[in-house]
Amino acid sequence: MLAVISFQLPFADTLRSTLTRMEILAELDHVSKSYEEKAAVHDLSLKIEAGSMFGLLGPNGAGKTSTIRMMIGITLPDAGKVSLFGKPFSNETLRRVGYLPEERGLYKKMKVIDQLVFLAELRGLGALEAKRRAKLWCEKLQIADSIDKRTEELSKGMQQKIQFISTLLHDPELIIMDEPFSGLDPVNAVLLQDTLLELKKHGNAVLFSTHRMDQVEKLCDSICLIDKGKAVLAGGMREIKSRYERNHVIVQFEGSDAFLKHAAIAEYKAYAGHAEIKLKPHADAQDLLRTAAATATITKFELVEPSLEEIFIETVGGRADA
Amino acid sequence: MPNNLLRNTLLIAKREYLERIRSRVFRITTLLVPIGMVGMAFLGAMSGRKLEGVQNLAILSNDAALAQQVKAALDDGAMPPKLVEVYAPSTDADLAQVKEQVGSHQVGGYLMLNTTPGVAEPDATWISGSSINLVGKSQMESAVRSALIREQLAAKGVPESQVSGLMREVKLETKQLKGSAVVASDSERSFLGAYGLIIVLYASVLIYGINIARSVVEEKTSRIFEVLLSTVSSDSLMLGKLLGVGAVGLTQMGIWGALLVFYAGSQFAATQGIHGLGSLGITKAELGFFAIFFLGGFYLYSALAAALGSSVSGEQEVQQFSFILISPLVASVVLLPYVLGNPNSTGAVVLSLLPPFTPIIMYMRICAQMPPWWQVWLSVVLLAASVAAMVWLSARIYRIGVLMYGKRATLPEMIRWLRYS
Repeated sequence: MLAVISFQLPFADTLRSTLTRMEILAELDHVSKSYEEKAAVHDLSLKIEAGSMFGLLGPNGAGKTSTIRMMIGITLPDAGKVSLFGKPFSNETLRRVGYLPEERGLYKKMKVIDQLVFLAELRGLGALEAKRRAKLWCEKLQIADSIDKRTEELSKGMQQKIQFISTLLHDPELIIMDEPFSGLDPVNAVLLQDTLLELKKHGNAVLFSTHRMDQVEKLCDSICLIDKGKAVLAGGMREIKSRYERNHVIVQFEGSDAFLKHAAIAEYKAYAGHAEIKLKPHADAQDLLRTAAATATITKFELVEPSLEEIFIETVGGRADA
Repeated sequence: MPNNLLRNTLLIAKREYLERIRSRVFRITTLLVPIGMVGMAFLGAMSGRKLEGVQNLAILSNDAALAQQVKAALDDGAMPPKLVEVYAPSTDADLAQVKEQVGSHQVGGYLMLNTTPGVAEPDATWISGSSINLVGKSQMESAVRSALIREQLAAKGVPESQVSGLMREVKLETKQLKGSAVVASDSERSFLGAYGLIIVLYASVLIYGINIARSVVEEKTSRIFEVLLSTVSSDSLMLGKLLGVGAVGLTQMGIWGALLVFYAGSQFAATQGIHGLGSLGITKAELGFFAIFFLGGFYLYSALAAALGSSVSGEQEVQQFSFILISPLVASVVLLPYVLGNPNSTGAVVLSLLPPFTPIIMYMRICAQMPPWWQVWLSVVLLAASVAAMVWLSARIYRIGVLMYGKRATLPEMIRWLRYS
């Protein structure tokens, strides 16, 4: 089991004082992009604040990568505006951005340390400082043993960690990662997730894309859910969840299951002594509890928030049905 | 930000340089090429010494006098045989015996020489034990020819003492006017420099040009260029690559050059009649031009290779297209005899000004006969301009290569990109 990660960020000495919370580090303003008539991104707007974690969510092919590429100037929007650090996009600002592309790429024949130093130098770091930070980061992410190996000798997961480090070495204020946890084992995925949370606390803004709802749910302050290039759901995580009713009930009981015929229940799954219930809209859960308690011994009665996955299915699925 | 551009270009050049200098390929080629060259020189010296005529042969003839004349001519020739047995007039038994000796390799072959009364030309056939022996053939030809001339001279009453004088060989010494100095001219050696450039350029383009194309393709297929391009402009990338790989080429040339100077001054070279670089027919000016045209050619072809690498999608395609890369070099080699024969013809002048042909053709012209200065400098300027244009173009292609991922970039998009960077 992983030890609790309570490290100092390798560059804590360079704590940025200029950044205040709520500062908008990246903004997309009604951005559209199409490839050969097919709209990849349509009229998308989003804002990423300093000290926050932003989840760009959506099924495969929804337009996540297309969106990210416009943010770092690899492609240009057909319409709309991209701003970084409060100014219209320019290549100059890219040194303040750390970008991890979806398809990982490193120089195969190069030593890990040389590779990290090279990429950091390109972003303006001095060679010595780059080396110092690279070593600290490699220790932190538990790959210090591999520092003198060639990249091609390493496993895919290790390579991914190295690329993760290379994204962060120059201490970017804005961190943009395309599917950063894909292909990692759970232990390493948690290690990287915790690192990102640490960075967020430190004041960095993190945007990452994923198609996995559980990751977003755990990590993100705000999300934008896109489907077929359009934002279908966007805002603060709390706020979105609260928009959806707590209409799921989990009941553990001993005795009669007659309460499952209650008028408030839309549908249910019953097991021995355990039931998962979906209530009808605006139904009174307290009344159900009273009814159930009358005929059975209730050991657990929990009103559950819908998971993001359910919200997603409800939103996207509902739209598709319409 | 020009400061960043310069810094990044140098960083990229440094990476390319160090990665290659440390590679096994570099060490192997740096060592193997000189070893190969010395080996070839050594073999050349060996085989030159071994160039000898037929050692043992028989002459079968119905004309004893002519047969003796031929034997004398062979013994007087440049490559006298060890043993010449004359059977004249010969019998069928002699022939059978000689055939047997050829079969058992006791003699290398036999010359059948038969005269017919009233016919001036004798009927001569050289039957050799080995399939093709050009030396043997020319040896017999010249012996028979000189024997016939001697016979005819004798028949016309020229005394034997005068015949030898008449038959003496003449040695023609060749010299060349270079500038105002008359220097020793040995056609083989004076072109050694030009052929040297061709070999060196050809090898470097093949090794390093393809290497650049590969490294571009590697960055494309590994998608690392997405990271690079989110930090660095594609101009920096391309220029840095070219400078870095070029520096590797120069390092290698430097090592080889030093070895050549060392070799030319060595005892071993002295045994082959080479005393210092000058005796190789290479002047200092030619060495300077060598450097200029090597660099120009190297950078032009490397930039072409980079453009090639940027526009293909996989390593195999690089292999397929590499012949496009070297085809102007091949064409230059094919056109060399024409340029050598007519170094100042319109065709040669035009060719030497076309950038892909400039390195080899112009250098060859300079070696053969110094062209007007304006032509030399014009060719250098055109070469440099086309290198710059090629770098610019390959940087665009590289940049657009990212956009082409998954789709083809539209023209307005490309134009917007040009403004962007």
